[in-house]
Amino acid sequence: MPLYGENRLGLADLLNLLVSAILLAGIYTTMSMGMTVIYGVMKMVNLAHAGFMMLGAYFAFELSQRTALDPLLAAVLAAPLFFLLGIGTYRSMVRFLPVADEPTLPSLLLLFGLWLVLQNIGYMIWGADDRSILTPLTMATFRFGGIILPVIRLIVFGIALLSLVALHVFLNRTWFGRSVRALTQNREAGQLVGIDAGRTAMLTFGVGIAFTGLAGALLATLYSFTPDFGGSFMLRSFVIIVLGGLESFSGVAMGATIVALIETFSILAVPANYQLAISFILLVVALLVLPGGIEGLLQRRRLLR
Amino acid sequence: MSGAPASPVRSCLAAAASLLVLAGLLLVPLIGASGNTIRLVLITLLWVATSLAWNLLGGVAGQVSFGFAVFYGLGAYAAAFAINGGINPYAAFAAGGLTAALASVLIGIPTFRLRGPYFAIATIGVNEAVRIVMSNLEITGGASGYRLLATGRFSQGEHYYTALGLAGLAFLISWFVMRSPFGLALRAIREDQDAAADLGVPPFRCKLAVHALAALLTGMAGGAFARYTAYIHPDGVFAFTTSISILLMPVIGGLGTLLGPVIGAVVYSVVQEEMVVNFPQFHLFLYGALLILIVLFEPGGLVGLGRRIARGLRGRLRGGPGDPVVAPAPLSRVGP
Amino acid sequence: MTTRMAHRLPPSVLRRLAALVVLASAMLGPGWAGRAAAQGAACPDAVRVGMVFPLTGREGRPGTYQVEGIRLAMEQINAKGGVNVKACGKRLPFKEIVYDDQSDQARSVQLVERTMSSDNVVAVLGGYSTVLGQAQSVVADRYRVPWITPGAAASTIFNQGRQWIFGTLTPVDLLGYTTMKFLGGLVDQGKLDKGLKIAIAVENTDHGKDYVEGVNRWIKEHPGYFSVVFNESFQLGGTDFSGILQRVKAANADIFLSDAHLQDYITMQRQYTQMGLYHRMVSYGARGPEEPARKALGAAADYIFAGTWWEKGLPYKQVEAFVKAYKAKFGHDPDNFYPATAYDGARILAAAIEAAGSLDRTAIRDGLRKARLTDSLLPGQVLEFQKNGQAAEPFVIVQNKPGNRVDFVYPEDTKTGEVVTKIPR
Repeated sequence: MPLYGENRLGLADLLNLLVSAILLAGIYTTMSMGMTVIYGVMKMVNLAHAGFMMLGAYFAFELSQRTALDPLLAAVLAAPLFFLLGIGTYRSMVRFLPVADEPTLPSLLLLFGLWLVLQNIGYMIWGADDRSILTPLTMATFRFGGIILPVIRLIVFGIALLSLVALHVFLNRTWFGRSVRALTQNREAGQLVGIDAGRTAMLTFGVGIAFTGLAGALLATLYSFTPDFGGSFMLRSFVIIVLGGLESFSGVAMGATIVALIETFSILAVPANYQLAISFILLVVALLVLPGGIEGLLQRRRLLR
Repeated sequence: MSGAPASPVRSCLAAAASLLVLAGLLLVPLIGASGNTIRLVLITLLWVATSLAWNLLGGVAGQVSFGFAVFYGLGAYAAAFAINGGINPYAAFAAGGLTAALASVLIGIPTFRLRGPYFAIATIGVNEAVRIVMSNLEITGGASGYRLLATGRFSQGEHYYTALGLAGLAFLISWFVMRSPFGLALRAIREDQDAAADLGVPPFRCKLAVHALAALLTGMAGGAFARYTAYIHPDGVFAFTTSISILLMPVIGGLGTLLGPVIGAVVYSVVQEEMVVNFPQFHLFLYGALLILIVLFEPGGLVGLGRRIARGLRGRLRGGPGDPVVAPAPLSRVGP
Repeated sequence: MTTRMAHRLPPSVLRRLAALVVLASAMLGPGWAGRAAAQGAACPDAVRVGMVFPLTGREGRPGTYQVEGIRLAMEQINAKGGVNVKACGKRLPFKEIVYDDQSDQARSVQLVERTMSSDNVVAVLGGYSTVLGQAQSVVADRYRVPWITPGAAASTIFNQGRQWIFGTLTPVDLLGYTTMKFLGGLVDQGKLDKGLKIAIAVENTDHGKDYVEGVNRWIKEHPGYFSVVFNESFQLGGTDFSGILQRVKAANADIFLSDAHLQDYITMQRQYTQMGLYHRMVSYGARGPEEPARKALGAAADYIFAGTWWEKGLPYKQVEAFVKAYKAKFGHDPDNFYPATAYDGARILAAAIEAAGSLDRTAIRDGLRKARLTDSLLPGQVLEFQKNGQAAEPFVIVQNKPGNRVDFVYPEDTKTGEVVTKIPR
């Protein structure tokens, strides 16, 4: 195996992997944040996540093709548009679902059905052709010592970080943000102090979808995509939010970093053709071993001490 | 049916009607139906078996799985292996079913510690992981797929009766389970797992048992499918879309009922065939829209819709409320 | 139904079962009558040919090109009055019955069975990509309908002893072998040094395995020319190849050989460039000059060389005419080999039917075994099937050049430009 013999990776290669993993963690965090926000307030697992990511990818593609706008700028513009799309989805469908403290089957089936519909709409509009976004920066590399990094990943990482900062400010400084946090922690208590749960849920769904669309648009500048796009990223988001403890916003960043590190470094031990299976196995393991996520684990250890 | 006391007259009529349907199905290959029609009915019968099987776990016990392709696929591969190894095809189907049942226990022991929705999400992970591993295993041919060696002349009729037998078996097993104390226990778990446990129902063991039973039937259907197509591939039998198809049929028909999954499978197969032939671009759309409509408007599926219409008609005829009918499991109650 | 009856029969299983039977027979009924009636008539008014290709899904684009190739051939034949069927004493036009299998293996089988058993076709063309071809090939012998694939070349399809299957694509292992023969020739000409290191990363399908087998066979037969320092496979349809590429990089090879589908080629070559990998020569098997790839990769696709079954610049006059007619009909150039092998597949079928002199399927099958197309578009200009049903044409090697150019670089008689053996950094 690769750890031995002449194909062994050197120190520079390992450093390169580490930096790539951190860059990957940034976009993974943004991507999973959309799912966590929705879960936190509404206790729904958004199975249409992949569909909205795919739409985000095509949005960046179309906008940059038609208006000669930089695709990265187009990606940023996806956020407000997808906020409205999220609100529309909530008002037309999601609000009719029963409210519960745990994800219900109707919510899973409805959102899953929505994913299929979105995917089909994608096929109708864009066909099955593999698309990719070529920016002037796509092939550019940044060299620092022995480390070689694609410039575009650095930029995507930057945008992802900015979006997270914006969310942080939003959650901590606005009335809506406080309602979101209150409902996430305790729904009934939140309602008792006069929070309009329906309105908050609607806005939350909008914010969640905005993040999902943004993440899809950003990922489209890194990978090629078809209307199938998003499925594997959605499963990664599950892993990440489960690792993060489902409704903890800081847990998401931690979960994303762990997933990115494991995925990136697994090439040292796992043959390339099994790489894709890693995140799925991780999902099952995470659900089983860490029902409370990493933070839950840390808390339990603290209590034991 | 769902807990309603069965009068002897009704049981007799039900048995007579079942025999009638069975006789009709037995005759299909004999009355000059084209190879294509036989194929369509055959595939439908296999779907009937998987649909009934999924319904035992998802409808009756309320444990939704997005991962039944694992059992379908393992059954297919195990049976294909056995057949290529010279074992009698029917023994091979049994081997396929048992392999799937064994896998269901291995998967169930850890995942049933999770409740409803988390179990559902875990099954997505299991499904994809198994598919990728199977795509790369050398002994199964990996992503090249696996071919069954041809033994003797191909007889479509034989395959047809195999599928018919399997669908019949699944129907009988479902019927027995639903009438048995075991079925009651499963329903209790669906309604409220903690209350069921308080009443002395062991939820974990019951779920494991029904999971294995469903996997057994699904695996045998997979085996019959493998023998019929003579070539299987991980992206076919283990595909996430296969899991979705297996789940959609009972949801369309009516969860937790006996006839719902059968109707769902028939409707699904016929619609799927016509869609694929005439509107290949729209089939995802159709399934998605169906799911959304069912969740929003008729959680009881087609059976629920039929009952509602029947009740309405009868109510109008008699000018009073219709028969008190035991409704199919409403979706909102499925889950923890 | 009276109210009393309704009382005695509450929502009984009986009525629901009866409804089920009615429902099922209502849905199946028309098919029953219609399909049974379609058979018979020794001389229909058209030669019906089934076509099952992926028009949507991941293989949608190549599948569409193949259907276009067949349609062009049929249109040209029909314009001349159709196929001469001696038993009918007249020329009959081709009539296509097209299905889209959506790149799904189970659906592909379903549709081939459907068309073979209920559309009254004399032959079926279908199966783009190895997996769908594998799945379809089983059905042909079962229903005894000649089946021609213009898009699946894995040897495992053709070495099962099947009697009714044909393929216009030369085996993939020959692609690997030809690639090495080409590289070996460059060593002999002094354009490459002896003993260069090769890294191989191929998709984990029959296609990939056959390719590697061909490469290894040549290397074994010619010791000292090259050494393979890395050889691994990857999962088809991946979004991220940085793992395997990182290890390719660490292997420090001089030449990089891959075998991938179009989508994976694009994703991989893009990451290859982003990660700063460099080899003096790079190939993705049969992929390279495709239009979508050059659009998506820009300069990163330059100098990639590909072994291919066909390419539009081949210097034959029938190729020139084909390219012109194709562009006139569909508004775009033929991309890679896809339409050409399909076009010839339809033409050799026409030749076989004329040789058979009837629409009898067995006679057509025997006709295909003997058929010889002497104005083939494919390299060598002659298309005929070997004993196992597969064609055996030579491969040509092309190399992408800057400015969207594609040069033929091997063999000598097709050459349109000089090979670049050291990609400029």
